Amino acid sequence: MISFSDVLRYLLGSFFGTIGFAWLTRVPKRAWLPSGIIAAVVYMIYWLLPQAGVSESMAVFLGSLFGSLAGHVCARRMHMINTVFLMSAIVPVVPGLGLYRMMAYLGQGQTALGADQGVRAMIIIAMTALGLVMGGFAERLIHRDGGSH
Amino acid sequence: METENRSFSPDQMMETLQLAAQIIMESGGETFRAEETVCRMGAGFGLQQVESFAVPSGLFISYRTADGRLETSVRRVHPRRTDLTKVNQVNGISRQAAAGRLSAEEALQQLKALDMLRKTPAGFGALGAAAVCAAGFCFLFRGNWPEALLAAAIAALVQGIRLFSERIHGHGIISNILGGLLTAFLPALAAGWIPELMTEAVVAGALMPLVPGVAMANAVQDSLRGDMFSGLSHGAQALLTACLIAGGALLSPPLLRLLKGGGL
Repeated sequence: MISFSDVLRYLLGSFFGTIGFAWLTRVPKRAWLPSGIIAAVVYMIYWLLPQAGVSESMAVFLGSLFGSLAGHVCARRMHMINTVFLMSAIVPVVPGLGLYRMMAYLGQGQTALGADQGVRAMIIIAMTALGLVMGGFAERLIHRDGGSH
Repeated sequence: METENRSFSPDQMMETLQLAAQIIMESGGETFRAEETVCRMGAGFGLQQVESFAVPSGLFISYRTADGRLETSVRRVHPRRTDLTKVNQVNGISRQAAAGRLSAEEALQQLKALDMLRKTPAGFGALGAAAVCAAGFCFLFRGNWPEALLAAAIAALVQGIRLFSERIHGHGIISNILGGLLTAFLPALAAGWIPELMTEAVVAGALMPLVPGVAMANAVQDSLRGDMFSGLSHGAQALLTACLIAGGALLSPPLLRLLKGGGL
């Protein structure tokens, strides 16, 4: 069930969380707004697609693929390095909660539950990396000049 | 522009290339970017056979001078605080130099000015940044205002410890373990006084500023360019940081049991 308050919470949470991360890693200020928007859209893809029956891993892949493509487009348009935007695509889908649960279960001696959370977190990390890689390949196919934005 | 560069000695030319690559790598840039920057700037300065090989801990540069001599240098790189604005600025300088709009002397002046800025310590802005990041992600993990405020306070405290450790040249390993421990321990302690506190939203939110996001992005970017050595190195760095933070967080339950009078 999708409620307006949940949409607002996830949009604002991923937007401001990513802007805070961008500030922390000293991303140029003019990249903060596009970074926050990319992050919010990536998280919406990650959250909404499973509600429509898509698997969580595929949703992460599609989210980070979008983030990667949008990041490369922004980098070219704004004449900036693509790392600042790619990082924004990654940060909101980092399985922070999953990793915390894994640690909590392992700390309580519940190894099976900890391993289950850990494997899920690893799948999310792998699919995020795959999305970034595929986005990078697509961008290099489109722009064959090999420029390092 | 090439005429202007001829008055620049090979040593100064090398210093310009070294400084550009060094700032990129020490500020969290990718190794392929450092290599490309050296080659593009060198070509822009009219140098022949410019070659560069960078690994996360050092870089090698060589080029042939106008009189046919081969100049080579090695420089050790010590990663410092991530500063993507600096990486972006060096990228801008290298583009101007590659296009012939900047002489080697002007490029060196600009790079030295950037390098001086880079050495200034991080201020309270980093604490605010960590607080905003933690609060935002705490909301994302279904926390509410009390959880977000607590996550922000813990993230700012942990960031303060990291900055202090940086200033006294402390090892990053200790600050990561301590960061993980405090991030898991303080919310669990607070839950003793506020039973309705959503501990996991606070911990997960406060952990987010510690995520090695730049190392993760660099691992993917370097691997994508075929530089598996640097890709694996950045990947290992991200994994090690995550393990240290997790290790610190795992120390929290036994510490809490000890405080409550139980055994380890």
